[in-house]
Amino acid sequence: MKHPATEARRSGQSPPVVPHVDVTLTVNGTAHALRVDARVTLLDALRDHLGLTGAKKGCDQGACGACTVMVDGKRVVACLVLAAQCEGREVTTVEGLSPDGGPHPVQAAFARHDAFQCGYCTPGQIMSAVCLLAEGRAGTDEDIREFMSGNLCRCGAYPNIRAAIRDVTGER
Amino acid sequence: MTTLGTGGIVGAGIERVDAPLKVTGGARYPNDFSLPGMVHAALVGSTVAAGRIRDIDVSRAGAAPGVLAVITHLTAPELARGPLTLLGGSPPAPLQDDRILHHGQHVAVVVAESAEQARHAARLVHVDYEATKAVLDLDDPRAEIVDDPWGLDTRKGDVAAGFARADVVVEGTYTTPDNTNNPLGLMTTLASWHGDALTVHDSTQWPHNVRTTLAVVFKVPESGIRVLAPFVGGGFGAGLRVWPHVILTALAARQVGRPVKLVLTRPQMFTSVGHRPNSVQRIRIGATRDGDLLAIEHHGLSSVAMEDDDYEPVSFGSAVAYACPHVLTEDKQARLNIPCPGSMRAPAEGQGNFALESAIDDVAHAVGMDPVEFRLRNLAQEHPLSGLPWSSNALRECYLRGAERFGWSRRTPEPGSMRDGRWLVGYGVAGVSYPFYQVPCQARVSVRRDGSAYVRSAAVDIGTGTYTVMTQLAAGLLGLEIDRVRFDLGDSDMPYAPQAGGSGLTGALANAVHAACRRLVREFLDVVADDPASPLRGAVPGDVTIAGGRLHRTGDPTGGESFVDILARHGLEELSADGRSTPPRSEDLGMALAGAFGAKFVEVRVDPALGLLRVARVVSAIDGGRILNERTAAGQIIGGTVGGISQALFEETLTDQGTGRIANATFGDYLMPVNADVPDMDVLFVGGPDRATAVGTKGVGEIGLVGLAAAIGNAVRHATGRRLRSLPFTIDQLML
Repeated sequence: MKHPATEARRSGQSPPVVPHVDVTLTVNGTAHALRVDARVTLLDALRDHLGLTGAKKGCDQGACGACTVMVDGKRVVACLVLAAQCEGREVTTVEGLSPDGGPHPVQAAFARHDAFQCGYCTPGQIMSAVCLLAEGRAGTDEDIREFMSGNLCRCGAYPNIRAAIRDVTGER
Repeated sequence: MTTLGTGGIVGAGIERVDAPLKVTGGARYPNDFSLPGMVHAALVGSTVAAGRIRDIDVSRAGAAPGVLAVITHLTAPELARGPLTLLGGSPPAPLQDDRILHHGQHVAVVVAESAEQARHAARLVHVDYEATKAVLDLDDPRAEIVDDPWGLDTRKGDVAAGFARADVVVEGTYTTPDNTNNPLGLMTTLASWHGDALTVHDSTQWPHNVRTTLAVVFKVPESGIRVLAPFVGGGFGAGLRVWPHVILTALAARQVGRPVKLVLTRPQMFTSVGHRPNSVQRIRIGATRDGDLLAIEHHGLSSVAMEDDDYEPVSFGSAVAYACPHVLTEDKQARLNIPCPGSMRAPAEGQGNFALESAIDDVAHAVGMDPVEFRLRNLAQEHPLSGLPWSSNALRECYLRGAERFGWSRRTPEPGSMRDGRWLVGYGVAGVSYPFYQVPCQARVSVRRDGSAYVRSAAVDIGTGTYTVMTQLAAGLLGLEIDRVRFDLGDSDMPYAPQAGGSGLTGALANAVHAACRRLVREFLDVVADDPASPLRGAVPGDVTIAGGRLHRTGDPTGGESFVDILARHGLEELSADGRSTPPRSEDLGMALAGAFGAKFVEVRVDPALGLLRVARVVSAIDGGRILNERTAAGQIIGGTVGGISQALFEETLTDQGTGRIANATFGDYLMPVNADVPDMDVLFVGGPDRATAVGTKGVGEIGLVGLAAAIGNAVRHATGRRLRSLPFTIDQLML
């Protein structure tokens, strides 16, 4: 099947108008009805349409983990998910980690262990760490190293990130 | 004035003051800002590395949905090139002619209502190039060679005579590849004009440089330009210069009359914001059989862009690292059709130290001496070029205490003599003498009627901890609790600050804050100079001590009065003072200005059958002068060490020699360490405050990286007997 955009490009005509989609995103417990360009990713919907800029864009290619959020309790890289795919799903971002106020234990541990420097990867690291703990994959240092390896930290705070996660596992 | 002793708030490893914002997603980086009416820009990059644009067709892009403007060299106004800065010239102004100097060069900027529309339309710009054969290789005979680009070539003694007397001569050619800074934050500019006034959010390490440059480029007054960067997602040097995309964003905003935001893509981060240039280095070292260095000769050749400059004297460090009577260092640059290189964490030192400290190890081995003992024997007791005593130098302690912590005495010297199952174990060491760097800086401090203090300077905290350590320093100097002090930065309307770079900001800013606090004390004493109600009447700054928000005559802690009392009695809401620091001068002090020193100890594991190399342990012993926060300073060393492991084992920006395209310009292809690649590590700080400045810090932002490549290489040599001279150390070099 020939794609209309390909046809348009071949014929030199202007590209077709990209359709918009209506989607209801439930983020941190609140439903938001949005009409967005169908190409808008979950990450851009959160950041540019809902003003939730905690999730960060580090590569837009699913390789750095800075945009890690939870969708239905599982961690996903929000740059590789279209907003339109999230209809009816529960999205949790770093802003929604601690609805009762006061830091989440993982947030407090990251602060205590200086588990960041520039802070740009931190929301993604924290979301991954929270999921890791929930999944029971933070039992050993080897597990933490392995399962946190999808979140790049260019400042090199890795040892302190491990220490923060170990600290939380010790508390439990 | 409170003296900066030990054991107080200054130096304590307190939690970062910006930690609550950073762990909650509340810290706002440049691409987190939006403005009403804001539109989006996307860049079109050249797909050839050299030549000219024969034709550029923007008709389809211009007709695409949401597009407001497409700017090319045919439609861009004439733009002045940015000024000469502390770092050299500015990059060439964008879109000024039809010439292509490198692959990825910006050839058009598209502005549209949404980011998706702009990105889509950018792909519809059709460029017809007349390509020429690009100069891409350091040994291409067509490359123009720049000799002694910085006037730092060194000739001391007579190296030929030194080598003639040497019992042992070691020689090698070392190569280092292009590396890309890759801060995790995608560099972003958000520009908004109001007449000739311009507000810019930018991922910069130097707001005042952005302000000055935009004023020059757009011929508008600096006073109308405001540059904001309260948080920046790392930099590692990529944010030091005002790159063409910053100018293009401001240009686009002026053209469409609306705020414009441009976020570089990750592939564009490889071609638009500098990189550590590759190098080929030839080094030769001669010594007596007793282990005394006689001669060092180090030649460096690095790449540079066709019409730009970059400070990268890779060999110069070899002139100032050891006591050695005969030294020759020489640097050259080859002009290539590559994106502009720029500083990347520990520029020049990161490359040059690899060659020097690898070769030094080979000399130690050749004379049968322990590598630590050899380095101690040849320590530079005074500055090797000026002959002046150092303002501070604890390199000996770095070696001794680092070796002790590491367990260096367990090392058996014979290569391949230590094993752990299938793994060969190697211990390696490298020394670092990091250069001193400091430039002028200013700060302002106010104490208010409620007894709180507000301190500010237009610096940037790229993760180094500037917010935190300056809060601590001001609290310590003013005798206030930490939660009564706020330090703010990242705004060009604040007092002038230099770049967060060169390991120089903490020193420059700390001394400016120190000066401001001193002057503020004088302000308070001036207010009460003739006040009969004040117990401080007639006191001069040298007479008083500050403690607990109170000024009292030294030796009379129960007398005196508080800042608040003075302000209230005199009907003042606040008192403020400015402070500035200027770098100390060696000739005034009769001392050589010392940067940080360090000794790096590394244990590696090598699987000789599979060519696997693992860094198992690292101990870094650092003389960083006064440490303002032991935790954030240790973080700098740990992070630098990760950068050093990365340089040694992973990073290599690959340029396709046919097209000049960077072949691995994504995070999927460009290797950097992940969590599992990095061991836990030890950091020790030794030495004390440096004598050259009031606060006595020495920058620690870069020294963490330097020496790792050599220490790992030396450990590999110990494990395997094989000397690796080409970074990164890949499996093919390790298979035995």
